[in-house]
Amino acid sequence: MRRSLAFLLLTGIISAGPARAETLNMPVLVPLTGFLSLEGTSQRNGAVLALRGAQPPGVTVATDVVDTGTSPEAAVTALERALGRGTTVAVAASMLGTQMLAMLPLAADYKVPLVTVSGTASITEQGNPWVFRFFPGDAVTKEAHARYVVEELGKRRPAVIYQTTAYGQSGRAHLAERFRALGAEVVYEEGVDPAARDLLPVLSKALAARPDVLVLHLHSGPTALFLRQAAAHGVEVPIVAGSAMHQPSTAALLDPAEMKGVCAETAASPVSGGSPEMDRFTADYRAAFGTEPDAFALGQYDGTRMVLDAIARGARTAEAVRAALADGTHEGLAMTYRSDGTGNMAHSAVIVCYDGTSRVPQVVRRYDALSGSTR
Amino acid sequence: MPRLLPHVSSPGGVLAVAGAALLAYAALYASPYELRVLTVAGVYALAAIGFQIVFGLAGALSLAQGAFFGIGAYVTGILGSRYGLPFPVTFPLSLLLPFVLAVLVGLPVLRLESHYFALATLGIAQVVLLLAVNLPDLTGGANGLAGVPGIAAFGVEVPRGRPLAAAVWAAVAAGGLLAWWMARGRWGRALTLVRDDPLAAATLGLDVGRLRLAAFTVSALYGGAAGALAVHTQRVVSPEVLEFPVMVSVLTIAIVGGRGRVAGAILGAVLLLHLPEWFRFLEQSYLVVYGAALLLAIVVAPYGLTGVLERLLPPPAAVPVPPRAWAERERPAGTVLCVEGLSKAFGGVRAVDGVTLSLEAGRVTGLIGPNGSGKTTLINLVSGLERPDGGRVVLNGREVTGWRADRLARAGIARTFQTASLPAGTVLDAVTAARLDRDGSIAAAQAHAGHALERVGALHLGPRDGAALPAALRRRVELARALAREPAVLLLDEPAAGLTDDEKADLAARIAAVAAGGVAVLVVEHDMDFLLPLVDRVVCLDGGRVLAQGAPAAVAADPAVIAAYLGDAPS
Repeated sequence: MRRSLAFLLLTGIISAGPARAETLNMPVLVPLTGFLSLEGTSQRNGAVLALRGAQPPGVTVATDVVDTGTSPEAAVTALERALGRGTTVAVAASMLGTQMLAMLPLAADYKVPLVTVSGTASITEQGNPWVFRFFPGDAVTKEAHARYVVEELGKRRPAVIYQTTAYGQSGRAHLAERFRALGAEVVYEEGVDPAARDLLPVLSKALAARPDVLVLHLHSGPTALFLRQAAAHGVEVPIVAGSAMHQPSTAALLDPAEMKGVCAETAASPVSGGSPEMDRFTADYRAAFGTEPDAFALGQYDGTRMVLDAIARGARTAEAVRAALADGTHEGLAMTYRSDGTGNMAHSAVIVCYDGTSRVPQVVRRYDALSGSTR
Repeated sequence: MPRLLPHVSSPGGVLAVAGAALLAYAALYASPYELRVLTVAGVYALAAIGFQIVFGLAGALSLAQGAFFGIGAYVTGILGSRYGLPFPVTFPLSLLLPFVLAVLVGLPVLRLESHYFALATLGIAQVVLLLAVNLPDLTGGANGLAGVPGIAAFGVEVPRGRPLAAAVWAAVAAGGLLAWWMARGRWGRALTLVRDDPLAAATLGLDVGRLRLAAFTVSALYGGAAGALAVHTQRVVSPEVLEFPVMVSVLTIAIVGGRGRVAGAILGAVLLLHLPEWFRFLEQSYLVVYGAALLLAIVVAPYGLTGVLERLLPPPAAVPVPPRAWAERERPAGTVLCVEGLSKAFGGVRAVDGVTLSLEAGRVTGLIGPNGSGKTTLINLVSGLERPDGGRVVLNGREVTGWRADRLARAGIARTFQTASLPAGTVLDAVTAARLDRDGSIAAAQAHAGHALERVGALHLGPRDGAALPAALRRRVELARALAREPAVLLLDEPAAGLTDDEKADLAARIAAVAAGGVAVLVVEHDMDFLLPLVDRVVCLDGGRVLAQGAPAAVAADPAVIAAYLGDAPS
């Protein structure tokens, strides 16, 4: 009898084992196919790298990666699917503005925070408390963009070439507003379809307006095409591009000589280094995914780490994570993140330039505490 | 008493069981995510049902269905989010605008040949997309518009989840029933003939242009409705609703589900909207598997899922409708058709050059001449398939020069073709098509079609597949189809080609009987042994001109006719 009791006690102790870790979900819903697949993959990699790192004690944060393609419908379906599984405390959500706009009402219904690197201004203008953007919005990056052109380069006659997408139209509007505030006259503006295969006509028309600087706000492929054609035709007007230029995948499409003197705005440039932590992130990223990280990867990494920090400090529900994101401050690798009350967490931007010998740009100017306001 | 519910072993029964299972699944088990997928499937089913009408039934590859979908979406999005208008206002307007656009663009583009029509409709979609992107003050530009309200009417809101799925599928059920009712009626049958053989359709009195335009506009209504519901489901509208993938999805749904079938649209939508979800765990590889699955479906089931069902479970044969004679009309005597100086040139070739002839009621006229002499062109001019360059055509005392084929057919001209072809489907259906503009119901049209078949001794062929008949029988059915028009003038283009002697004799007797009923008959034929004993008069053409005309024996003996066409008889 005594032996039996001892056996039962031992069995009970063994079967109890260590306390089972609580499992929380943070699904990653990003565009892995379609025209934003490069950027979406960066976003996925940033989130996954963060989640593979140190987990909060006593908690397992699980993730599912789901391709949202580029349609709002697919994004909403993916969100509804992800929210039906386990306890979801946050979602790493698509960087595509139209998908974010579609997901926001559902996030509000389910009361789950969306952590994104979408630059589309309007996603934080909907009065929705469940969105957190870990990438400077267009108001912020275009402030840095325009200020660098006017204040650092001393240019007053920019020609603006933008994309006819949500990204492009939003950037164009902010650039126009910012240049006006800085007293610069936009001498030429044209929207370019992402599918355009020859940008020489646009370049020629822009040059005919006699600008003193070419300001680009294009996606990755068109940026590379524009620079290649400008280099081939010996254009000497300086070029300051949008954030797509800083992406290593964009630089990989060009010879270093074609990028000589070209500058670009971005939230950060991980490959440019700057701190031991940044170098470690870049090394880990290369080891994990075999590619170079960009600002989207870093922004999503920082955002995901902020969620994990909130969980480490005891947040176990989506509402608790939201409160931590809304009220907290996070020292990320790219910058210090803090909400402006509408979910805009990133308020810094940098300007990088290429010297014509390397595809790795140098950070030449950093802008912090940007408000994005012209008032 | 007719059976109201289909037998479970019939395709209709299987579909009914599948529908009930889907309903039970949605009502009892589906999670919010599964309900969303079902809701989106319903939206696409509605768009695809409309597409089935224009593409499946009318055979016009309209690539504008995505544009209609997007326009409906934008009307709801703009009016709902910018102006706060309620569903009872936005929904009808979301149907109206695509409808109006379809009428405006349909008139010019529906005249184009199939591939040009497809390109033109694709162009419409691209223009609308460009407008949506480049009119940001109205449309929100590339970002689109957020904050579109859900469905709410008369104080009742439809929340997402089960109620929204129910609302969308109620629209699918209503739209599906309406489309099914239209497809199986006279309009649907007329569209099918327009798709399969537009020339024959025109000569059977069907206004091909008007039918295609109607199909195009009806499809626009469905597209607009689907777009409106899509926006209420997503609560945002952005240019993606106008992009080509929407059109590709609708087209794929129609093909995979089964072209022309309402059930095919629904089955296809449910399958195609669920497939990516089933393969989602494959992450970036899912598109490859999804594409392979679609390819497999098309290879294994070229006629779609409904085609597979019909092959596995053939529908029971339709109950035959007893033939019924139509009320014979009093026919005018004397000259029925008069052709004066008719001319037609194709480039530098004068195919018909100043031909004058007349056809008398109750008489058979033969039209002979060497190949290329203008016989078929003359028939095409008289029946409206070609427009003359000069001359007049007078039918029963009324000038009908340049009239369209369908108008001439309704005025009393019927014809057969040199190459007799019948569309896929039963012989009875093929002949019924000739009565669609005359009879008030399908049953009446079938009864009269049976009578026409009976007159040419082909009633027994009624249930057989017309396209699979041998040439001789196809000619007989084609004659029945022409007779079903109750024509005043019957134009027969080489009716005896390929027939045996017995069949020719039988055909000659039947033609003579038709003429005896007061019909003016023109027979184009090369077989003089068949023709000369049959006809009352012969016209011989050569180089587009009348070489000789008169009594059969006189024309046959005319040296010019012998030299140009008949040749010397072997000694």
